[in-house]
Amino acid sequence: MKKTKLGEFEELVLMTVVVLQENAYGVEIKRELESRLNETLSVGSIQSALKRMEEKSFLTSEFGEATQKRGGKRKRIYKATPYAHKVLQDMKDVRTQLWAAMPAAAAKLNFLMN
Amino acid sequence: MSDSRHQVKPPKWSHRLLRYFLRKEFLEEIEGDIEELFDENVELHSLAKARRLYNKEVIRLIRPALVKKWSIGQKLNTGMLQHNLILTLRSYMRYKSAFLINLLGLSTGLACTLLIYLWVNSEFEVNRFHEKGDRLYQVLANYDNSNGISTNQATPALLPQTLAETLPEVEFATTQSWLSAYTLSYEDTNIKAVGQYAGEDYFNVFSYDLIQGDKNEVLKDKRAVVISEELATKLFGTTVDVVGKMVDFMHFKQFQVSGIFKSPPASSTHQFDFIMTFGEFKESRSWILNWKNNAPSTFVVLKEGSDIDAFNAKIVNVIKENNGEPNVTPFAVLYSDLYLNGKFENGRPTGGKAASVRLIGLIAFFILAIACINFMNLSTARVSRRIKEIGIKKAVGASRKTLMLQFMSESVIMAFISLVMSLAIVWLVLPEFNSITDKSLSLVFTGELVMALGVTLAITGILSGSYPALYLSGFKPVKILKGQTPSSWRELFLRKGLVVFQFVLSVVLIVSVLVVQKQIEFTQQKDIGFNKDNIISFEAEGELELKLEPFLDELKKVPGVTMASSTAHSIAGSYTGSTYDLSWEGKLADETVEMEYMRVNHDFIELLEFEIIAGRSFSKEFKTDIGKVIFNEEAIKTMGIEDPVGKIVNVWGADQQILGVVKDFHFRSFHQKVGPAFFVLKPNDTWVVMARLAAGSEQETLKGIQTLYHDLNPGFNFEYQFMDDNYAAQYKDEQRTATLAKYFASVAIIISCLGLFGLAAFTAERRIKEIGIRKILGSSTANIVRLLSGDFTKIVALAIIIALPLSYFLATGWLQDFEYRISLNWWFFATAGLLALFIAWLTVGFQTLKAATVNPAKCLRSE
Repeated sequence: MKKTKLGEFEELVLMTVVVLQENAYGVEIKRELESRLNETLSVGSIQSALKRMEEKSFLTSEFGEATQKRGGKRKRIYKATPYAHKVLQDMKDVRTQLWAAMPAAAAKLNFLMN
Repeated sequence: MSDSRHQVKPPKWSHRLLRYFLRKEFLEEIEGDIEELFDENVELHSLAKARRLYNKEVIRLIRPALVKKWSIGQKLNTGMLQHNLILTLRSYMRYKSAFLINLLGLSTGLACTLLIYLWVNSEFEVNRFHEKGDRLYQVLANYDNSNGISTNQATPALLPQTLAETLPEVEFATTQSWLSAYTLSYEDTNIKAVGQYAGEDYFNVFSYDLIQGDKNEVLKDKRAVVISEELATKLFGTTVDVVGKMVDFMHFKQFQVSGIFKSPPASSTHQFDFIMTFGEFKESRSWILNWKNNAPSTFVVLKEGSDIDAFNAKIVNVIKENNGEPNVTPFAVLYSDLYLNGKFENGRPTGGKAASVRLIGLIAFFILAIACINFMNLSTARVSRRIKEIGIKKAVGASRKTLMLQFMSESVIMAFISLVMSLAIVWLVLPEFNSITDKSLSLVFTGELVMALGVTLAITGILSGSYPALYLSGFKPVKILKGQTPSSWRELFLRKGLVVFQFVLSVVLIVSVLVVQKQIEFTQQKDIGFNKDNIISFEAEGELELKLEPFLDELKKVPGVTMASSTAHSIAGSYTGSTYDLSWEGKLADETVEMEYMRVNHDFIELLEFEIIAGRSFSKEFKTDIGKVIFNEEAIKTMGIEDPVGKIVNVWGADQQILGVVKDFHFRSFHQKVGPAFFVLKPNDTWVVMARLAAGSEQETLKGIQTLYHDLNPGFNFEYQFMDDNYAAQYKDEQRTATLAKYFASVAIIISCLGLFGLAAFTAERRIKEIGIRKILGSSTANIVRLLSGDFTKIVALAIIIALPLSYFLATGWLQDFEYRISLNWWFFATAGLLALFIAWLTVGFQTLKAATVNPAKCLRSE
């Protein structure tokens, strides 16, 4: 279980990587998450999450092609591993089951949120 | 910002920072990321804001997941250090003699430096423990005589009180009498202890630690006495409930203990066991109330912020105004400064010990520097043994930095081992050192000492490692592996110069050892004009003082006592009286002549065997002899009286007949010229008993005298001194100089031999091929030894040539201090020179012999 441990922020970054597909590189992930979360994030926070997840083999990465932008430096494109997909699915299932198990509370929460 | 190229670039420093800390494998990606953002921000906002945001991003990239793994770097470092350590230890094991020589040299040097550090430190701490030390002044007095101004600590006893009453800046003032030994008793315990009289505010002025009693009260009651913890333990066996007890003073007065203080620390020059009050002082010695009598010392504490110059200007005339001696001018000097700067000439301060303390500190630094340089020399001399190692390391790709680090760590390790050794040496010799220097130094690891040790370690390690590190690591690998070692003339010159310098030092020290030794022998052997052997002296206290004549009669009857008499002074080395109050026919009106005098009893001249050269000695047969005088030759010469016996001289206002003349004699040490002096017969004034014991049975005789003393004078201890001990004590400083010179000479010789050894080793290494070829061509071992030693003989000879005039100059200067001194003999210098040469040959001989007996096939093989 230890390996599957995924922090909340890491989970968000991981899902963004999946969403962005071919375009999943540092700055793009940052932009996407910033717009969705409606807050500013630093490169450092995104990058450290990416590196940690890569080490825990949720992600693989490879260099993209060099462009004129970015001072000629290559992008590193991230890709979620099948294992990551499985973990994401597992977490979603757990959550769904939990939601289903607490109808009253859910109703109350829904009411509160509205 | 005017440069357009810079405009679109992120700040350089943060970029560089990024490159420094970010892991290499992430650099391209993340650098690209933040540059992309930067470009975006430049378009969205201003350039300045973009730069600011860039900086912020860089700072926020410092995260454990992204920065370089320093721990990996550290592992590599310890690995290298370990490697260096192993290499160092291996080289020590392999070249044991070199290791031992280095160890010996460095640890001797360090031990010397450490000892000197401890000593200098303690010298600077003397009398500095008083809390109000920065405003505690001693009032000294300038005495204006016809032969210049002399400075003295004797002042009128009422001076402190007057100063405190008339000058607002004086916070506290106290008088302090001279120290004398008195017998104190409690029940059956009699203790002779050193005491003084002092003013009420004594403990406010000085910070001697008062354990019991109030510092404002203890010296108020006239019959109060404050005693030291040590004295309390001796007298009462305890310090509990001692305050309030009565103590017998000389068995005729009672004093009440009002307080207990801790004995003054070793860093105090003033050491005493008890204090009596100023009220008692005035009562027992009413003469001190006269302003014309200058005897006790005066101390004042000025209020904070007081100006000492203004204060001194105010007190110039205070003694004159109070009808004191018109030629005495008081002035205040910071008490804590007096120990190191206590010399005055013609009323002006002329330094004192401070200069020599600083000089010795400098010597310590020199010794350390020389030891370090020798270490350098020895390690560079062994260069050819390591040169292949360095060459291969370099060829394999070791950087200069790595090699430097290796040599540095080697020398730091060496310095560390030496430091430990030197601490052991210091610990061993400290008791001896303390007894020589009269100090109580100890090796206590205070923060200060640890820091000093750390600094010394760093300096020694880096200093001695720097040259080999720079020199050896700078070799070109190709040249090294080809077998060429670089060297220059300048370098060789430096090495030789150093050895010359060290030998100069050694020769000078050897000469000084000889000269000091001879001078001390001279002082002990020269005819001093009287016979001091087997003379004991002791004070007649209590009852005895009143019944001195009967006691002397009894004393003469004790078996083993050959003669006995008494005087008012203890002769050798210390106090005699002196007076100006003399006049004679033909004395000029403005002539002031100071003469020493001794008040003596009958038989005194005979007891000490002074030689009468005209007239006669005092005799009991003539009752009228009392008050008459016997001069020494010098006095007669000074007064210019011809045919003196029977002439009249006015002494202390009364005409006295000259009974006789004695040959000049040395009361004082040989530092002083024999001055005019006279004996005056005053049996009633005398209280110091002197007796000559028959040689061979001193112990039995002393027991006999002790029994007699106790029978006639119960309650007092019989404490005596031998005159020759006192006489020798006058030369304590010289004895100390002699011993220290001996030690320093040995250290200098050891260190300079190491220097020479290093040079010899170096030369032998360099000339090994030459020696090989010479041997093949038929040179004998003796020839080669001669060839190699010849060089060193020249170096040492040069050192001797430099050292001899220098040591002559120094020895003459030292002897100047003595009015009676040896003349410098040529053989002092010859001995020192030959000794240095002999030691040098011995040192070099081993090396050269080794080099000369080398198998030529071995040393030429590699060519």
